[in-house]
Amino acid sequence: MSGSKGGIGKFLREWIFTIDHKRVGILYLIGSLAAFAVAGLMAMLMRIELSSVGPTITDPNTYNVWLYFHGAAMILGFQIPALTGFFANWLIPLQIGAKDVAFPRLNALSLWLFWMGIVLALLTFVVPNPPDIMWTAYPPYSILSPGNTAFYSFTVLIMGFASIAGGVNLITTIIYMRAPGMRWGKLNMFVWCTMAAFILQLIFVPILGTAVTMISMDKYLGTTFFSPTSGGDVLLYQNLFWFYSHPAVYVILLPVLGIIFDIVATFARNRIFNYKVAVYGGVGGILLVSGEVWIHHLYASGMPNWIRIGMMMSTLLISVPVGLCVLSIIGTLYRGAIEFKTPMLYAVGFIFLFLIGGLTGIPLALAALDIFIHDTHFIVAHFHYVMAVAGTFSIIGGIYYYWPKFTGKMYNETLGKIGFVITFIGVNITFFAMFFVGLEGMPRRYFDYAQMPQLEDGQRLVTYGAFILAVGFLIILISWLHSLFAGKPAPDNPWGSKSLEWTTTTPPGPGNWPEVPDCEDFDPYGYGE
Amino acid sequence: MSEDAVEHHEWESSPWPLVLSVGILFFAPFAFSMYFVYDSLFMSVVCLGIGVPLILISVIGWAKESIGPINMYTKEQGLGTPAMPLFILAEAFIFIGFLVAYWVLRLTADVWPPEGSPHIGYTTPIVMTIILVSSSITMHFAEHKLEHDDRKGFIGFLVVSIILGAIFLGLSASEWSHLLHGGFTTSTNIFGSVFYSITGFHASHVVVGLCMFLAALLMALSGSISKTYVKSISMYWHFVDIVWFFVVSQVYFW
Repeated sequence: MSGSKGGIGKFLREWIFTIDHKRVGILYLIGSLAAFAVAGLMAMLMRIELSSVGPTITDPNTYNVWLYFHGAAMILGFQIPALTGFFANWLIPLQIGAKDVAFPRLNALSLWLFWMGIVLALLTFVVPNPPDIMWTAYPPYSILSPGNTAFYSFTVLIMGFASIAGGVNLITTIIYMRAPGMRWGKLNMFVWCTMAAFILQLIFVPILGTAVTMISMDKYLGTTFFSPTSGGDVLLYQNLFWFYSHPAVYVILLPVLGIIFDIVATFARNRIFNYKVAVYGGVGGILLVSGEVWIHHLYASGMPNWIRIGMMMSTLLISVPVGLCVLSIIGTLYRGAIEFKTPMLYAVGFIFLFLIGGLTGIPLALAALDIFIHDTHFIVAHFHYVMAVAGTFSIIGGIYYYWPKFTGKMYNETLGKIGFVITFIGVNITFFAMFFVGLEGMPRRYFDYAQMPQLEDGQRLVTYGAFILAVGFLIILISWLHSLFAGKPAPDNPWGSKSLEWTTTTPPGPGNWPEVPDCEDFDPYGYGE
Repeated sequence: MSEDAVEHHEWESSPWPLVLSVGILFFAPFAFSMYFVYDSLFMSVVCLGIGVPLILISVIGWAKESIGPINMYTKEQGLGTPAMPLFILAEAFIFIGFLVAYWVLRLTADVWPPEGSPHIGYTTPIVMTIILVSSSITMHFAEHKLEHDDRKGFIGFLVVSIILGAIFLGLSASEWSHLLHGGFTTSTNIFGSVFYSITGFHASHVVVGLCMFLAALLMALSGSISKTYVKSISMYWHFVDIVWFFVVSQVYFW
């Protein structure tokens, strides 16, 4: 299916100018994996820097740029596009039985705007005065810094517009383009989860847009939104920012859960445990509560107590719908005929990592405890477990799971499993050690810890873990390349899944099916009946 | 479904989304950074010179493609009307963001209006409100005429709406220039920041609405106009109108 036989013009037309949802999705995947690679490199450089006391390989300013790029690119360039770009685009039309998304051209516009955001982010390394303001861009530093804050704002705005357009597009697709007989009650969990994620995007991305717009207006156009001397308010920014950026965690988490649901159901040969509770209680509950918890990022910022306590309650409350989803996932395993293929390993790994991340989130949710561990490595370890690593495990597991479908090649099972084991070990060494370094008092974002030389051993352990992790990712990459060039052709349904996306040819052609499938007697999780 | 079966082996493609994105990259981030960050008016103009033509070409190309045969796999033109409210939801939150910022800043301020704020007369906003509401009404009539396939009536009402929208923009611009000449700028005080950003964002939405109206006018004159498109832009225009009530009541009359 590659453009090998028609030359460059055909390649250009069929890939670069494509408006087909599957190819748009794959281009999203390439962009997000590129962002992942570069941002991962930044992480490795930061880990080398932190492996010993004092300046190891760089100076504080360069470190800030790495830190900025790592955070911004991992969240805005890797996880959100991989999930709401690649997986959502590629899977949703296939899972609901549509021939394409509702607005294919708009879809391609979202894709290319995302790529322009990547270009803008990469230019960070070339331009004079690169942004050095973290992905949070807190004022007053982001306004006073000599760095190019405009690049940051526009990266967010461009990618934000791409997300909004993508959300409009895919929600319309899900509502209006389901195949005949594909009723709401039998959609794949992934469709439900992603739709909820897109609703969150539609509501919250514009708020982030206003926040970063105000930052750039303050810096370049002379407004004073965040300047207390002229009647502005610094905390206003933090509130606007986290009002988006906390739900962004659920924008990532929801599709992640959706992928895990589908993998687990397929490899356990079982229907989703408590489907309705997972949809209405779990996904719906996350949707309802996720917008009312953002103050837990600001416990230490000087908020009135009544807000802190209220948001502490809602933060603890949101673990209920999340817990319902996890319960459904584990319930799906119960009495299933479990088969540990690589994607399933990642799904099980996800459950473990997510559990550690979630449990360490409870002390952080408690305002009284959080005051003392706020802005330490403990919190870095926590959100890496719960969002960064658990999310990445789900993304990689999902890529392995759908790999035969979208490339038409099987991957090497042994390589895949070796990659999983090494990554899993690396992750746990890196981030479990980081909890202790954080509890010992290592502040986050710091370039050096000269006052706390006793932390050096712990920091070095974290760095060793990071290197194991890097080796793991390298093996995963090798297994993908190996499959692309030497993989066996994949059958239409290698996993024996009942889901609709496996009924089409491998890889799916234009229009997905010759005829729109009839889904009257279809059940994506109808195993064993 | 018969066309689908015939054309099943073709991948759909369009160069315009890519061209448009590159245009936007040059038009917004590059031109802005060149001028404001790197102090180079020349490079900024160069970026605009690259960006604006790319945007124009791609919008025209895109419009031509969508006038022609519809994308064969989707009911693309049929879904514009249900998709618009979703987009409007997102747009509404941009204004909610700015208005919330305004409320927070105003309610925590020691004195309001802060020192240095000029008195802004009530006449202009009242006139602007009347004009914008009437343009919304004429747009509704235009939509109604198109519904009954009265192309002449549609064009007539559409032109009236465009003129009213342009007058609105003109009034907004004259008010801005009056205030700016009076020494009231974005950096005068927090009210300056709020006033210019909220009215500015609203005006930018009016500009976008007018561009979409002009496109509709050109399509109607060339003889092929999509009812879905008109419904969507009229919905958007009503939204811009409703937002104006919030802007005028919060920024001018409170």
